[in-house]
Amino acid sequence: MFKVTQLMTAGALALGTMIGSARAADTVKVGVLHSLSGTMAISETSLRDVLLFTFDEINAKGGVLGKKIEPVVVDGASNWPLFAEKAKQLLEEDKVAVTFGCWTSVSRKSVLPVYEKNNGLLFYPVQYEGQEESKNVFYTAEAVNQQATPAIDYLLEQGYTKFYLIGTDYVYPQTTNLVLLEYLLSKKVPIENIGGGFKKDESGKIISAGKYTPFGHTDYQQIVSEIKQFSAGGKTAVVSTLNGDTNVPFFKEYAAAGLTAEIAPVVSFSISEDEFRGLPAKQLVGQLGCWTYFQSIKSDANKEFVKNFQKWLKTTTVPGIVKEGRVTCSPMVLSYDGVYLWKAAVEKAGSFDVDAVRAALQSGLSFDGPGGKVTTQKNMHLTKNVFIGETTAKGQFKILKEFKDVYGEPWLLGKFKAE
Amino acid sequence: MRTYIRLIFTTLTLWLAASSSLSAAEPRATLVEAMLADNDARKIELITSLAGEVDESIKPLLIAWREDGLYLYEPSGATPVPVQLTGEKDADDARAAVRVDTGAPLVDAEGKPVHLVAGDLNAVEHTSMLRRAMKGVLDLIDIGSPDAKKRLQAIQTIGFAQETDKIPAFQKRLAIEENSKVRRALREAIAVTQLKDPSDAVKLAAVKELKELHSLSSYDLIRTAMREADAAKSTELATEAKAALVAIDNHKSNINFFGTLFRGLSLGSILLIVAIGLAITFGLMGVINMAHGEMIAIGAYTTYLVENIFGAGITIPFFGFSLAIPGMNTTGAFYQTYFLFALPLSFLTAAVVGIGLERSIIRFLYRRPLESLLATWGVSLLLQQGLKLMFGSNNVQVSSPSYLSGNWTVNDIIFGWNRVFVIGFAGLIVFGVWLILTKTPLGLLIRSVMQNRGMASCMGVRTERVNMLTFGLGSGLAGLAGAFISQIGNVGPSLGQNYIVDCFMTVVVGGVGNLAGTIYSALGIGLVDQSLQQILLNPVLGKILVLVAIILFLQWRPSGLFVTRSRNLDD
Repeated sequence: MFKVTQLMTAGALALGTMIGSARAADTVKVGVLHSLSGTMAISETSLRDVLLFTFDEINAKGGVLGKKIEPVVVDGASNWPLFAEKAKQLLEEDKVAVTFGCWTSVSRKSVLPVYEKNNGLLFYPVQYEGQEESKNVFYTAEAVNQQATPAIDYLLEQGYTKFYLIGTDYVYPQTTNLVLLEYLLSKKVPIENIGGGFKKDESGKIISAGKYTPFGHTDYQQIVSEIKQFSAGGKTAVVSTLNGDTNVPFFKEYAAAGLTAEIAPVVSFSISEDEFRGLPAKQLVGQLGCWTYFQSIKSDANKEFVKNFQKWLKTTTVPGIVKEGRVTCSPMVLSYDGVYLWKAAVEKAGSFDVDAVRAALQSGLSFDGPGGKVTTQKNMHLTKNVFIGETTAKGQFKILKEFKDVYGEPWLLGKFKAE
Repeated sequence: MRTYIRLIFTTLTLWLAASSSLSAAEPRATLVEAMLADNDARKIELITSLAGEVDESIKPLLIAWREDGLYLYEPSGATPVPVQLTGEKDADDARAAVRVDTGAPLVDAEGKPVHLVAGDLNAVEHTSMLRRAMKGVLDLIDIGSPDAKKRLQAIQTIGFAQETDKIPAFQKRLAIEENSKVRRALREAIAVTQLKDPSDAVKLAAVKELKELHSLSSYDLIRTAMREADAAKSTELATEAKAALVAIDNHKSNINFFGTLFRGLSLGSILLIVAIGLAITFGLMGVINMAHGEMIAIGAYTTYLVENIFGAGITIPFFGFSLAIPGMNTTGAFYQTYFLFALPLSFLTAAVVGIGLERSIIRFLYRRPLESLLATWGVSLLLQQGLKLMFGSNNVQVSSPSYLSGNWTVNDIIFGWNRVFVIGFAGLIVFGVWLILTKTPLGLLIRSVMQNRGMASCMGVRTERVNMLTFGLGSGLAGLAGAFISQIGNVGPSLGQNYIVDCFMTVVVGGVGNLAGTIYSALGIGLVDQSLQQILLNPVLGKILVLVAIILFLQWRPSGLFVTRSRNLDD
């Protein structure tokens, strides 16, 4: 009996591909380039899921320019050279019209030359450090001024005067913290009130601010005791760009040292609802997050989006997809927004041609997404709303403050000058 | 005339009675108003206005609010009523509701008391700003609290606000305070507040006091005072402030020295408990077991399972089947004991898996170390995938029992209970292993087989069986390590991978085949790691330097700290 079902499934699949190729003329190929295995799979599979959901949603309404979207899903396997190879395959063999993908900055940097050489178009959805602007990448991602600096504004407004910077040792935290250092100094926060340590080059210029730990670091005793001393005088906030599961030992140690959100809150830029699935939510209550979307946004568009995604999860036949306990988060919504913006641009341009689509994107298209209205900019970034939230025991964010229509600004290093 | 007087008198009495009952209800009414107010600023204003009220009934209500213990009862159409649920749960899980505004039981239209289920209601919301305001109010109530810990916290919070009008209250308390820690906090609070005093003489005295107390938390405030004094050209004060800063800095380096010692010891203990199992399987038996890390992961997942069984139960997709394990739904103190049950169980589970591994694969590879390395590496990949299939590729949440998540602060040095526990735990494990190896018949057999297998076999020792039990012991110890690691770090399918390098490093540095060497090397590596982090102020560089130091050390002493002398002709 088991074998019969297997045979039937295989047959159906074969038939499906045959029909697919027969209909090739009515479809447009779209690339999905994420890590479905390796260390980043935990985060990136969610983005694949939401992209497939979005394609199904658009296809159900008639597709793009009358053509159904045909996803070409490839696995970057958390391996950066492999990302470049897969990008090459998508552009040169599959001839995709657009690609949605990448999470880490290093994967984006790896595929960048491939997209520039082939004049492809990549939509990049995850908060990043800026200092980059390619005509072949559209950044739906949060720029530093759409996440980190609004968070600092909020903390300053709340009366915090001392800031401790901590992050994982790679390009996003390092660059973000340098921008934050300039920003804090420009806001007249004295340099001795910025904790975590500095590294200077021979000329005395600060080249690194804050405390860094390697990926997968587990021992935060030393750093937490330093934070405890630093925060002894009160009014201290910790600004964390720690990535991934190192947050668990960090927050466990933080709680064990008697530090709480009321004594010294931690504002994290890398923990979204999706990451909460593996974190001890109870120990994080009251800590802050800052994103351009939270699942708890109470708009109709968001309720609809969350409901439809959950419904899609129940019916989907994607092999190996996790169906239980799923949530939505900012990188997912920015992926979703990206697909709709691309669709709008294609329809405005009347063609799938990358140059025409780019011109349409740069002309300022708007889309009412789950996180509110987003508008494309000439510099290939998005204007969007920014939210500050505090975490609840259920692993969600309660929204404390909203900044409306923040312009995405990638070039921030050296922009804020202390007077 | 008399009727008039009587009338006036009655009115007066009534009015007095009414006003007195009004003032009793007032703080509660203010609290309810704060809960229902539509903006945070107004809420904070109302909460802060409670600070002057000396009403003990407000305190439990504020605490309940902060901890999601107050609910909104929202009858359709009417304004919501904040209520607190009290008494025992009845058959429907409902409890009697008490109105927050009056303290009287909530009644329905017919006057019958209403029973509500917490799960059906929305808790009254609060944000960090509100909680901070509530804390302010609670702190003021707490200065006179019978609990010394609460007094201490309250005094520190209020003291650092530097409000000069609070000094009399502090001095009054200082006169009667007996607890030495609270006395210190009071002196600190008074001195810190006096730094705001306009008179230089008062400031000077305050700085001297703070210098004597070497108060860490007033460092910034003294620095500010020093700058102000510099600007105002009051040299004496500036010099004294500078001296105070130096004194505090010295105190800081003392704390850091002892803190680092303690942290090094605790890191060393973690290395020791993860490596001691490997020291037995690799060191004593000579089996290169690459799946040792997965044994740790199995222990950690066992703890996770036990926690869920004590809680609401869990469903595991078990290779196509769905295995539902019911939970015991325990709460409170009993739930917290789950960890004590998890410890032996994680030992047993890992030991059983280890014995299975030994019986099915390793026993064929005793004389072929390279093959055992490859085979166990394959097993490690299999086990990882198995864990992924059963528990998903995401990390799972294991919450620490409360007795492992506090800390104990002596003279500004933090001793986290989880860290104190790990040191004790490592000590116990070492003692246990020593007992087994030296005081039991099994230990005697193990040692004889390790020293000379052939001779032991000739003497009638069933070496096969001893091998199996020894391997089980090593694996079980790894399981114990996993149970502990679940309390301080991540529990995920790749947990083992994060520790396997540390394990081999520790055992090799200690000298293969020598348990004492493992102990010394674990503690040594822990101390060196923490000191380097402290000196270099950089964990990344610290980690690299530790590895470089180990490589150099092994160049100098290739067989580790302790060389095992053997009578074997092969060696």
